[in-house]
Amino acid sequence: MTRAVVGKELRVLWASPVPYVVGALLQLVLGLLYVDQLAARRQALFQPAVPIAGFLLLALTPLVCMRAVAEEARSGTLELLLAVPVAGRPLVVGKWLAAWITVLVVLAPVVLFVLLLEWFGNPDLGPVLSGLVGLALLAGALAALGVLASSLTSTQPVAAMTAFFVSLLLWFAHVRAEALSVGGVMDRLSISERLRGFAGGVVDTSDVAFFVLLAAAALTLAAAAVDGRRLR
Amino acid sequence: MIEAVRLSRDFGGREAVREVSFSVAPGEVVAFLGPNGAGKTTTIRLLLGLLRPAAGRADVTRPVGYVPELFAGYDALAVSSYLGFLARMKRVPRAEVEPSLGAAGAADLAGRPVGRLSKGQRQRVGLAQALLGRPPSYVLDEPTQGLDPAQVVEARTLLRSLASDGAAVLISTHLLAEAAAVADRVVVIVRGRVVAEERPGEAGDLERRFLELVGRGELT
Repeated sequence: MTRAVVGKELRVLWASPVPYVVGALLQLVLGLLYVDQLAARRQALFQPAVPIAGFLLLALTPLVCMRAVAEEARSGTLELLLAVPVAGRPLVVGKWLAAWITVLVVLAPVVLFVLLLEWFGNPDLGPVLSGLVGLALLAGALAALGVLASSLTSTQPVAAMTAFFVSLLLWFAHVRAEALSVGGVMDRLSISERLRGFAGGVVDTSDVAFFVLLAAAALTLAAAAVDGRRLR
Repeated sequence: MIEAVRLSRDFGGREAVREVSFSVAPGEVVAFLGPNGAGKTTTIRLLLGLLRPAAGRADVTRPVGYVPELFAGYDALAVSSYLGFLARMKRVPRAEVEPSLGAAGAADLAGRPVGRLSKGQRQRVGLAQALLGRPPSYVLDEPTQGLDPAQVVEARTLLRSLASDGAAVLISTHLLAEAAAVADRVVVIVRGRVVAEERPGEAGDLERRFLELVGRGELT
């Protein structure tokens, strides 16, 4: 069932202009900012691309995910599926996988940057690979937050804004964390801090587990939200 | 079998349906009649498990073929892909798509994108998705809305044939002629309460009886 949802979601998503626009914006802005970083550092490093791409994903992933459940609720197809009845879990997992695959495809051209680095210099491939793994995990967690936000409303812009601001809060969770008595906790919740390790060439299992757990928690809540629509 | 047993539901203190009871036996077509806002859609949503009743219970033999009042589909998909997806969701073989489209008079629409269908075509595709797997129960909200007269006749024949095959068919409709033509019984709901449950008789008789039950003011 999940496979059928993934297939349908991918067909519907790629029939819309959203992935193309998101991909163009991501690559354009990332390219400009990354080249600027390379020019300033004069070193063949992939490292600066990771936080830039991560921050851009923060803004662009919600656009890919916003229609996931919200549009189904608005158009009435969700009611049709719930009447079958289809459970929330395969539905949100299928939608999340489709959104994650889409974001990864949109992100894939960053590999060209690596090829260019290889052409002009001799980059260390360890941080390149760990950076890509970090971005893929971040994309998965952000896609799950996007699907969660989409499951809570029938309005796509509201879903996109909710996902963006929650992601933004998680990105900056470490800022002024010391001033709060829960500073340590906030540090651990910061997705930008988690991504920093990957960018530096370190694949820490606790960072991997963080992104996996964040995605799992968001999807569990999204499935509960969809099931909650069945019996209101 | 479709059965509503003393179903009640309110929204924010406003009573939507109260102690609604009726049943549709296998092999029977029952028309659910009532003016706008009488509680027909709420009752249907309670029967399908889309709303939780405040009291009472709904028993519907699953799976159930459901046609919502407004067609719901994915504009980007071709009709055959849309039905193929719903077949997977209903755990029905994809091979069921073609006969369902044929039975609903929509075989010629298989390759058309859902987003480019006319209202009548959408309604036929909506009927086709309800037929997937030939379920034992059907809940159809305004199933002939938007169809041309010839298609209405075909749809009525289809509903009767579903009942002949042993299915329980509940149709919600505003059209008294339709209820008279297709239903074995009519259930009339007014202000959230079932006020009559009887055989439809001729269309003219039904219209007179309906106006009596509802009151002319309710219809304007």
